[in-house]
Amino acid sequence: MSWRELVLHEFKAIFTNPAILFTVFGGVLIYSLIYPLPYANQLPREQHIAVVNLDHSAISRELVRMVDATPQVQVMRTASSLDEAKQWLLNQDVQGMLVIPEHFYRDLLLGTSPTVAFAGDAALFLVYGTVVEGLATATGTLSAKAKVVRMVAAGNNLTLASEQYAPLKLNMLPVFNPTMGYINYIVPAVFVLILHQTLLIGSALVGAAHQESRQRGEIPYTMAYAPWKMIMVRVSLFTLIYLPLTAYYFGLSFESYGISRLAQIGDLIAMTLPFLVSVTLLGIVLGELVPRKELVTVIVLLSSLPLVFSAGFVWPVSALPEPVDWLAQWFPSTPAINGFLRLNQMGASFAQVGHWWIHLWGLAGLYLCIALGLMLRKQTMQRMHSVSAMDNRVE
Amino acid sequence: MWLTAIKRECNIIRQEPWLKAMLFFLPAALFVLMWWIFSYGIARDLPVGVVDLDQSRLSRGLVRYYDASPTLSVARQLNSVEEGSALLRHGEIYALAIIPESMEAETFRGQSPTVAVFYNTQFILIAKLVNSAFVSAQTTYTAGIDALKHMASGTAVPIQALGQALPIRNQITPLFNSNAHYGQFLVSAAIPAMWQIFMIATTVLALAAEQRRQGLLVWLNQQPIQQLCAKLAVYGVLYLIQGILFLWGLYGLLGWPMHGSWGILLLAQILMVFACLSMGTMLFFLTLDATRTMSLVAGFTAPAFAFMGITFPATDMPVLAAVWRALLPVTHYIEIQVQQVDYGNHLQQAMPQMFALMCFVVAFALGILRMLSWRRKQQEVLG
Repeated sequence: MSWRELVLHEFKAIFTNPAILFTVFGGVLIYSLIYPLPYANQLPREQHIAVVNLDHSAISRELVRMVDATPQVQVMRTASSLDEAKQWLLNQDVQGMLVIPEHFYRDLLLGTSPTVAFAGDAALFLVYGTVVEGLATATGTLSAKAKVVRMVAAGNNLTLASEQYAPLKLNMLPVFNPTMGYINYIVPAVFVLILHQTLLIGSALVGAAHQESRQRGEIPYTMAYAPWKMIMVRVSLFTLIYLPLTAYYFGLSFESYGISRLAQIGDLIAMTLPFLVSVTLLGIVLGELVPRKELVTVIVLLSSLPLVFSAGFVWPVSALPEPVDWLAQWFPSTPAINGFLRLNQMGASFAQVGHWWIHLWGLAGLYLCIALGLMLRKQTMQRMHSVSAMDNRVE
Repeated sequence: MWLTAIKRECNIIRQEPWLKAMLFFLPAALFVLMWWIFSYGIARDLPVGVVDLDQSRLSRGLVRYYDASPTLSVARQLNSVEEGSALLRHGEIYALAIIPESMEAETFRGQSPTVAVFYNTQFILIAKLVNSAFVSAQTTYTAGIDALKHMASGTAVPIQALGQALPIRNQITPLFNSNAHYGQFLVSAAIPAMWQIFMIATTVLALAAEQRRQGLLVWLNQQPIQQLCAKLAVYGVLYLIQGILFLWGLYGLLGWPMHGSWGILLLAQILMVFACLSMGTMLFFLTLDATRTMSLVAGFTAPAFAFMGITFPATDMPVLAAVWRALLPVTHYIEIQVQQVDYGNHLQQAMPQMFALMCFVVAFALGILRMLSWRRKQQEVLG
């Protein structure tokens, strides 16, 4: 009953279980290729819109040209009437429409601010946002131009006018993901969740497999060892297996998708350790609780979407109901996603994510206690069971 | 035979706590949880920081304007850019506005100083909200200053003064989701994605329960195809009830707008249920091992949400993603749901998606073929 034997037993339990191998190695590899696939083009571009130009002046045609020139939208068609454009929108031939009112040119000259109307299909948010962004850029530019022209007409110097058309300017500077690329947005967070979910399944399957063999009347090797030893060996093995897998995600995979890695390697490892340890321990708890192996995957699968949406990167934490936010904190994925994103994507220092690191160790401690308790109880019950079985035989 | 098979199935469900949970309690709980996560609907008061290097009447007015935006909340007034940058990296604030020194003085000299706003684009959805809130707050504030300047310099009529300040006005109308409700947009897609997981996983669990209880061979001994269909029929009806209940919850109970036909939606749901039963059956008979099948189910359904084309337009996906997308029943169903709920399209426009859902009959056929060949082999072995 040496350590060496125990390690061999656990090693065998992991590497001879096809479901574990498929989830851990297959899952991590396949998901790293599948998940980023929809976002390969990073940004939606050239969304199709229709134009209803009721003015037909040189300036309104210029506006149409400027709209078409933005990367976000492409003017597909020119409608002769509002109704026609509406019909195209309903048929989903176009995602938005731009209406330039009658007397647009005259009103602009008179300085009575003509209103340009956009309507966009808001059922798909990203498409809508893209269309609106493109249209707003174009009218904003034309607006500024009109002002400059007017200032020059009023006798101002052209260079000065082109600088001073607004009393206050605003310069919006995107940081951390300056291109607003979708891969940079989704992948860093979802990859942490993939590591979380596959490791959880893998670690839980070991326990669940013992459970099943017990139900078949076999006595698994786990009965012969102290639970704390077994937990230590299992946590060490899974951590060793997952360190290279994590390195593959944050290294090679991030590299090939062009995702930024601002973290120091030491900081990254420091955050990875409690992450892997706490997830393995949660997996051990889960494995002790479920009666059958396939249920492990079901439970983890069902938890994925709620965990993604409550981790705070899709939907702001301040807009989450408090009980949901509270609940999400009990899963290692929440502090891990937040910690890794800040370290790797936002360039935070380790001190700034220290509380997430402590949070992860705290969860590890909690699940360690629960796992120990569950394993001890099971061993005691099994012993009582075998003693009574022996008694029966003696009689 | 059908009636006894159905009665027997109901008994099995009664005795299997996990089947019961997957059919009744868990879907209800998770569907409500998805709604609850997004129940605020619109993100409000997102924390931002301001470094006001000017400390003038004008700059303080601008900060008040930012704070007055329903989307933004000036949570921190900072003394230095470094301090703000640390908070931005920490994620405590989503944006940092820097108001330059002597902004007021420069504005009155007509030099148009620039306010710089660094905003966190790592969280795109939030970034877009923050960006447009800043732009609109600043535009309104600037237009106010401009109009005042023009009126002071002699433009008497306010509408003309405003026209000088804002030569072109924009009117933006979001169609089909008029209050820009993120909940309606994400929840109505996330729930069908979960529904697909529930349906395929429960089908596998149901077949695995049969395997565990008396063995597949005993069950399939006589009239195997009818036995299978009777079993699946029971689950099909229960799945459909799940589907109808979530639609009723979203568009009836919560009263979200629904412009289409309930008949078309119901038809789409029936086909969706059938497609998921087919996928579950095929995957189970492919491995005949519950755990391994469930790994396949996870691989197949877990990334589905990303492929649905709701968060990212399907037209901008590469070919490979489009192919994978076509293999998922839920992507076809969600298109019909969006068509009906938002656009109120005719049945004819839903036909391509309906047809795609019908194609999953191929999966069903493959499942049955595999089942029959396995049964024959087993019977030969037993002689």
